[in-house]
Amino acid sequence: MTVQVILKGFGEVVKEVTFRVRRYDPEKDNTPKYSEYKVPVKKGMTVLDGILYIKEHIDPSLSARYSCRMGICGSCAMIINGKERLACQTQILELNKDLIKVDPLGNYNLIKDLVPDLSKLFNNHKSVKPYIIRNDNPPTAEYLQKPEEREKYAMFTECILCGACLSACPTMAADDLYLGPQALAQAYRYIADSRDMGFEERLNVLDSKHGVWRCHFAGACSEVCPKGVDPALAIQLLRGVLMKNSFFGYKQVPAPVGKERPTVVEGLKVLEEKIKESEKK
Amino acid sequence: MRESKIMFLQYLTGLLILVFGGLHFLALSFLTPSPDKQLYVYQSATNHTLVGGALYYNYVLDIYKNLAWAAVFELFLTVVTFHAFNGFRIILSEQFSGPTASKVISYSMLIIGLIVFIWGTRTILLAFLG
Ligand code: SF4
Ligand code: FES
Repeated sequence: MTVQVILKGFGEVVKEVTFRVRRYDPEKDNTPKYSEYKVPVKKGMTVLDGILYIKEHIDPSLSARYSCRMGICGSCAMIINGKERLACQTQILELNKDLIKVDPLGNYNLIKDLVPDLSKLFNNHKSVKPYIIRNDNPPTAEYLQKPEEREKYAMFTECILCGACLSACPTMAADDLYLGPQALAQAYRYIADSRDMGFEERLNVLDSKHGVWRCHFAGACSEVCPKGVDPALAIQLLRGVLMKNSFFGYKQVPAPVGKERPTVVEGLKVLEEKIKESEKK
Repeated sequence: MRESKIMFLQYLTGLLILVFGGLHFLALSFLTPSPDKQLYVYQSATNHTLVGGALYYNYVLDIYKNLAWAAVFELFLTVVTFHAFNGFRIILSEQFSGPTASKVISYSMLIIGLIVFIWGTRTILLAFLG
């Protein structure tokens, strides 16, 4: 017996909306302009689907960045009806509007149409060294961490680097060199990780003129984050750490290494040999 | 100095402004010795009683001649100047980034802040010495 699943109303055109999309081609235009497109909307259709409909049926020259279409890769963040959102996670019908206004993320240079240049986001992210830093020997097993230790930073691991928070941040709009909510949240994520020992290495970047103290707590970052990260909270927590550090010093206690794993030890040897070989070459 | 230390001072001076500002307000509004709060109104048979806060200029000046109060005003001036000019430095360095701009802003705020502080101290001293 075959079971047929019928999704009621799925695929039916429900209404027509107008997409007002900001267009900009650096090779042709001096300033951005808006173009309007009529898009038939079916149930379940996202704003990204709408943009792809325009590309396929009306104007193939429209550019947007996307990849996973399921809110994982963070490529499709844009400003939809005035708020930063992931286009692939925004249901057109849920917006409940006949006009959908789509702008590229703000506070970034523009490459074309809805494609911002995210180098600022990635460079700032890189500058806070977003990885576990240890000054002891390479581990022969995993570092041990209790679930409650993980809780301290768990929320901040959800960041998908979509860049929406930097676009919403008013300090980012004023201060070119400000690190921004994403990088600061990630700095806290690693500093609060019991396996990390890299606080000192990040200190100069964080405790600087354009670092953690420039946040005005507008909270726009936390408001728009599609993954429920609260960068504004991370910034407050980070300030606490830095304040403590500047008066009493801040000590990180390294998490212990688990019971030696032969496979890891073996792997390390192979790795060392490979490094030596490549050094010889 | 690390930014965190400067910001600590910024928050501390913010709080102290509330304390010294409160004292300043108290001194001028309630503690000013005005034993005779009667005002004779020209061509009128009655005297009017002055109500809360009306000040005799000379009595206000008397407060400045008191060493403890002069010290409070000097401290008030110090915290206000630091808080204000460090605040300007922060606002300006957000608007104009880059190492040169940052130096120009920091030093100019320091110099202007010092001038304001010296001028304010001069006023307090002149009032204190009568
Ligand atoms: S913190 Fe949120 S809004 Fe900011 S980059 Fe990460 S996922 Fe995007
Ligand atoms: S396309 Fe990957 S998050 Fe939207």
